[in-house]
Amino acid sequence: METPAIQTHGLTRRFGSLTAVEDVTFSVAAGQFFGFLGPNGAGKSTTIKMLTGLLEPTSGTMEILGEPFGAGATNLKRQIGVVPEGMALLGRLTAPEYLRFVGRMYGLDRNIVNQRTEELLEFMQLANERRKLITDFSHGMQKKLALAAAVIHGPRVLFLDEPFEGVDAIAAGMLKTLLQGMIHRGATIFLTSHVLEIVERLCDHVAIIHQGRLVANGSLEELRAGVASTLPGTDSPQRLTLEEIFLNIVGAGTQEQAQELSWLA
Amino acid sequence: MAGIAPVPEPVAAGAGLFSPLARSQYGALARMRLHMLANNVRSVQGAFELGARTVTFFIYALMGCGLSAGLCIGAYIMASHTMWQPLPMLFWITFIVWQVVPIALASFQEQFDISGILRFPVNFPSFYLLQLVFGLVDVPVILGCLCCLGIYVGFVLARPKDFFWTAVVLAIFAAFNIITARAILAWIDRWMAQRRTREIVSAVFIVLMLSLQLLNPALYQNGNRTRRSHSSHANSQHVSRDTSVWTHSLSTIVQWLPPGLAAEGLRESAENHPGHALESFGLLGLYILGVGGVLMVRLRAEFSGENLNEAPVRSAAAIGRRKWLIDGSGPVAAVIEKELRTLPRAMPLLFAIGAPLLTVLIVGTVLRNSFPPETAPFRLAFPLCVSYTLLGFAPIIYNNLGAEGTGIQILFLSPTPMRTVLLAKNLFHAAIYAGVSIVAGIFAASRLGTPDGILLVATAAWLLFALPTNLAAGNLLSLAMPYRMNLGRLSRQRGSQTSALISMLVQLGVIAVGLAVFEIGDALQMTWLAPLVFLSLAAVMILVWIAVLRRADSMAGRNKDRLIEVLAKRE
Repeated sequence: METPAIQTHGLTRRFGSLTAVEDVTFSVAAGQFFGFLGPNGAGKSTTIKMLTGLLEPTSGTMEILGEPFGAGATNLKRQIGVVPEGMALLGRLTAPEYLRFVGRMYGLDRNIVNQRTEELLEFMQLANERRKLITDFSHGMQKKLALAAAVIHGPRVLFLDEPFEGVDAIAAGMLKTLLQGMIHRGATIFLTSHVLEIVERLCDHVAIIHQGRLVANGSLEELRAGVASTLPGTDSPQRLTLEEIFLNIVGAGTQEQAQELSWLA
Repeated sequence: MAGIAPVPEPVAAGAGLFSPLARSQYGALARMRLHMLANNVRSVQGAFELGARTVTFFIYALMGCGLSAGLCIGAYIMASHTMWQPLPMLFWITFIVWQVVPIALASFQEQFDISGILRFPVNFPSFYLLQLVFGLVDVPVILGCLCCLGIYVGFVLARPKDFFWTAVVLAIFAAFNIITARAILAWIDRWMAQRRTREIVSAVFIVLMLSLQLLNPALYQNGNRTRRSHSSHANSQHVSRDTSVWTHSLSTIVQWLPPGLAAEGLRESAENHPGHALESFGLLGLYILGVGGVLMVRLRAEFSGENLNEAPVRSAAAIGRRKWLIDGSGPVAAVIEKELRTLPRAMPLLFAIGAPLLTVLIVGTVLRNSFPPETAPFRLAFPLCVSYTLLGFAPIIYNNLGAEGTGIQILFLSPTPMRTVLLAKNLFHAAIYAGVSIVAGIFAASRLGTPDGILLVATAAWLLFALPTNLAAGNLLSLAMPYRMNLGRLSRQRGSQTSALISMLVQLGVIAVGLAVFEIGDALQMTWLAPLVFLSLAAVMILVWIAVLRRADSMAGRNKDRLIEVLAKRE
């Protein structure tokens, strides 16, 4: 049996009395495009932070590419690329300066860094903005740059926290092409996003976290079948969209609450 | 429908300075500040901050009281003996304290950035007023007010009948100072925010320093003649006459400036010339209007949504592939290169490095002029001047991750250990400091005379001891008490008072050890002792620094949550 790219067991994180993530256990196969969904505050970013070594779990274990992963796992870090919640950009550098910095921090050779920087800037359509400071970039440009920095060292596992947030349709299409290309070449991608259409189109496996607990985990077909079985009169479960599945699992009742605010224009 | 009742229109409306909407906004801001203060104390670090702030406040209050007492005595003597000529000096001292202290403290003070309220429906007059009012309970204002209070008490004790006019003059003078300080900081922020204006300001700064260098010999060329002829009586008279003409011209100009006008207003009212006194007040009022207008221009631009961070984009033809500044692909080189690229774009860091140099030049000149030409100022003036420049490095060394912002995450995500990152930063800061101390040494030598060989070596050895001490303490504090620096602004920085206090104590300790070693060497008539002791201390502190670096990873791991939370949070 092939070693999973990501595996967690009983992953838990507490902040004082608040339990942000509780007993989360899942496995992501190598080469899988894995969607990790949940409403705001469900524990998605906390999970990603733990999986990438930005946050120490309170309890539980995690393995990346078959090896136990902790903050000190230097060699494993070389195999991982991350677009974290805050994008981890350095506002007072230009895009090429930042990409070169990141490449060198991952220990890449000078020539490779230079070459990849140019290629990534071209691909991300940031080549004309090479003199601009990152702090002056639009949000979408910053997202593209953060993604470029996450892939510059050719990671085998890529963690993306809301990569499509604030990105225009053209850039989103470009990012999708890049990510699908990586999957074809054997990389594993762990993605969180609120844009469910994109997740549905890209991911072959989805897990849903709600109030810190994993409430669903499986392929889209499995999730559809599971939800359909709870909905009487659903004759064709394959027509269920991911949004309907998601709302059925975690979002029931919110639309009725919105209608209560009758003072809104 | 359950629960929420319809709200037909906003509760408070209006556009005036004290309209219901504006008043409700002032109230909301005041409550917000109060809540922030209360919430800060909830955490252990917040409680430390409050403690450190209290201690710092106490230190500054003591300094202010001392200054105030001096001005009080001065004002009393001048008013009771009708010595009007030196009276403007008291106002000039107050003015300088009021204007220089905020610039000197700009990088250390925690201030609320009121610009953040622009996303709410705030009108311009309210915005202007809030810019003036917020941060009023601050060290420079308190020091300035204590100075004014000292003058007031001294003057009124000597001339009780003038209590009202004196209060009016000092109130107007205080208002002028508050507005001027705000205007200066606002414009410095603007000039330093963009590459071109920053370059112009840097050029002006260099020209100013060179002018100061040339001014002194120009003014004292007669003094040199005196030195050559060994104080011949005729030459002394000539020098005295020249100096008196020069002083007279200067005082004519100075009396039309605000401190001079305030002093003139006091004198005229004391001599029962209400018309002339009102004339001085009127002119002082015009200055307030002028400075207020200058501030308004700046704030209007900020109010209109100006982006101080905007960086001009070069034309496509000018775009070329830039070479690497530091060769090698290792993380140390990467971090050093990043620091090198960031520094020229980081105004608070440039200011922190540059300002002490100017101070060294000014203090050196003052010391030079305070002593007879044949006599050198006290022996330790040179090492003190050079080591003073290390003070400017405090916000950089003691918060060396503060400029990373969200980029702190990349340091944790990459396979580079934190000790490597800190090592690179320390090497970079040490290299910059070496350059700055050499420049400071040249400035000090040009003002105070070239020090003897032993003193030069001892000073270098002292710095060799001071640098690793500061770097080691700086690394610990950077990991334990980080705070985010806004590299686009000089003023309105968020700072950590605890960190500032600890860094100040370390610096004072280093200076105290230095002075003690020098004094002991001199007392034993073994001047060669100082370099040896400093080198031994330096060796110990280098070992301590290495030990701190070795522990950096475990410490960064323990404080990772806090580092990311504080540095990577969105503004």
